[in-house]
Amino acid sequence: MIPQNPDDLHVLAGEFVLGVLDEPDAREVAEALATNIELHRAVTFWEEHLHPLSVLVSPALPPAGTWEAIEARIAKPAPPPVAPRFWENVVPWRWSTAGFAVAAAGLALWILLMPAPEPSLVAVLHPPQQDQPSWIATAGRSGVVVRAVTAATPPNDRAFELWAIAPGATRPRSLGVIPASGELRLGTVPPDLRDGATLAISIEPPGGSPTQQPTGPVVFVGSVKPV
Amino acid sequence: MQRPCIHLRAKRVISLNGLESGSRGALWLRNMDSETTALSSIGVLIEAVGRGSQVALKRLYELESRRLYGIALRIVQRPEVAADVMQEAFVQVWQNAAAFSADRGAGAAWLTGIVRFRAIDAVRKAGREILTDDPALGDAALEPDVIEKIDALAEAAAMKRCLKLLDDEQRRSIVLAFVDGLSHSEIAERLKAPLGSVKSWIRRGLLALRRCLQS
Repeated sequence: MIPQNPDDLHVLAGEFVLGVLDEPDAREVAEALATNIELHRAVTFWEEHLHPLSVLVSPALPPAGTWEAIEARIAKPAPPPVAPRFWENVVPWRWSTAGFAVAAAGLALWILLMPAPEPSLVAVLHPPQQDQPSWIATAGRSGVVVRAVTAATPPNDRAFELWAIAPGATRPRSLGVIPASGELRLGTVPPDLRDGATLAISIEPPGGSPTQQPTGPVVFVGSVKPV
Repeated sequence: MQRPCIHLRAKRVISLNGLESGSRGALWLRNMDSETTALSSIGVLIEAVGRGSQVALKRLYELESRRLYGIALRIVQRPEVAADVMQEAFVQVWQNAAAFSADRGAGAAWLTGIVRFRAIDAVRKAGREILTDDPALGDAALEPDVIEKIDALAEAAAMKRCLKLLDDEQRRSIVLAFVDGLSHSEIAERLKAPLGSVKSWIRRGLLALRRCLQS
């Protein structure tokens, strides 16, 4: 249970950033971060204020070859197919758990079982700074389907709104408010939703942003890639 | 046209060639207050990484790898594990940089968070017995050096002032947790104190720090 009491909430956030929580508690905090704005703020507060303590540690030169290994892992050529890449890249963020693995397996299966025609684009959305897959979006000739992987609900009196930022675009375009069912379907693929675009979900007033642009925090984000 | 101005100004600071390509969509993730947010070159680099620039990631590595590797090594204690942590962390930076926004905090703190979480994850998975059982590592010697260095902190005047207000046990517990990545029970072992006391020191220490930092 994430506490409501501000002191308890701040202590929990501080313990989370310090890294002293045991695995179930840390996982609960990580999962709640996406939807609990107060918790999110408290974690950011501690990340920023505790960060200066890291200068107490002496810097050290990483072993030779470390950069080359990183470079090899992020190399752009020959992107692997989506399913293996998913397994390979979405190393659950902090407390990797069987839960994430099951979610990923379900996801892979779901992609495989998608009705024809096959989707041609896919995006896995996760909370900023985390790898935990939270939403999956697929787009193809039959339109767009965005579905929650794990149950995610917006804060009281708020709604999730989906946005697309086309490659090279400076402004996001709304793809609509996600219904409470956790699933959004569009009959056609908007032009902004293409290879290299970014999808994001922000927290907005119930009917969606009144300004045509996101007004609340971005709680999930992911890149659109070809299947 | 405010946004491009911020961007150009920031780019001039680090004068990096070859960063500009692809989507600038990540920029909108900042809120309107970003005008007043001091943009560090680290933050600008992370945003460039978010737009797919490998050049920016390499520059980030050049600027930050010694600091971050030091943090990872301190927590995991073994160079080969710390090197793995660096790999995992930078791959995560590559994947998640698009979600970074300056209004969520400084770039350096964001990087530190990723590396610490990776390092703590690695050390908890592997177990820490090898570390605490080795007298050559001098458990007792490791800790005071860090506590003493707090006085020398130039970067964190507020934090330094506020840490001084804490009881000795509270301060040591929090610093050990952050710097060495120790859990509640590991701190209890290190300080030879009951687990309940350590939990309470950290709780009360965090509350006191927060009150002080916000005042």
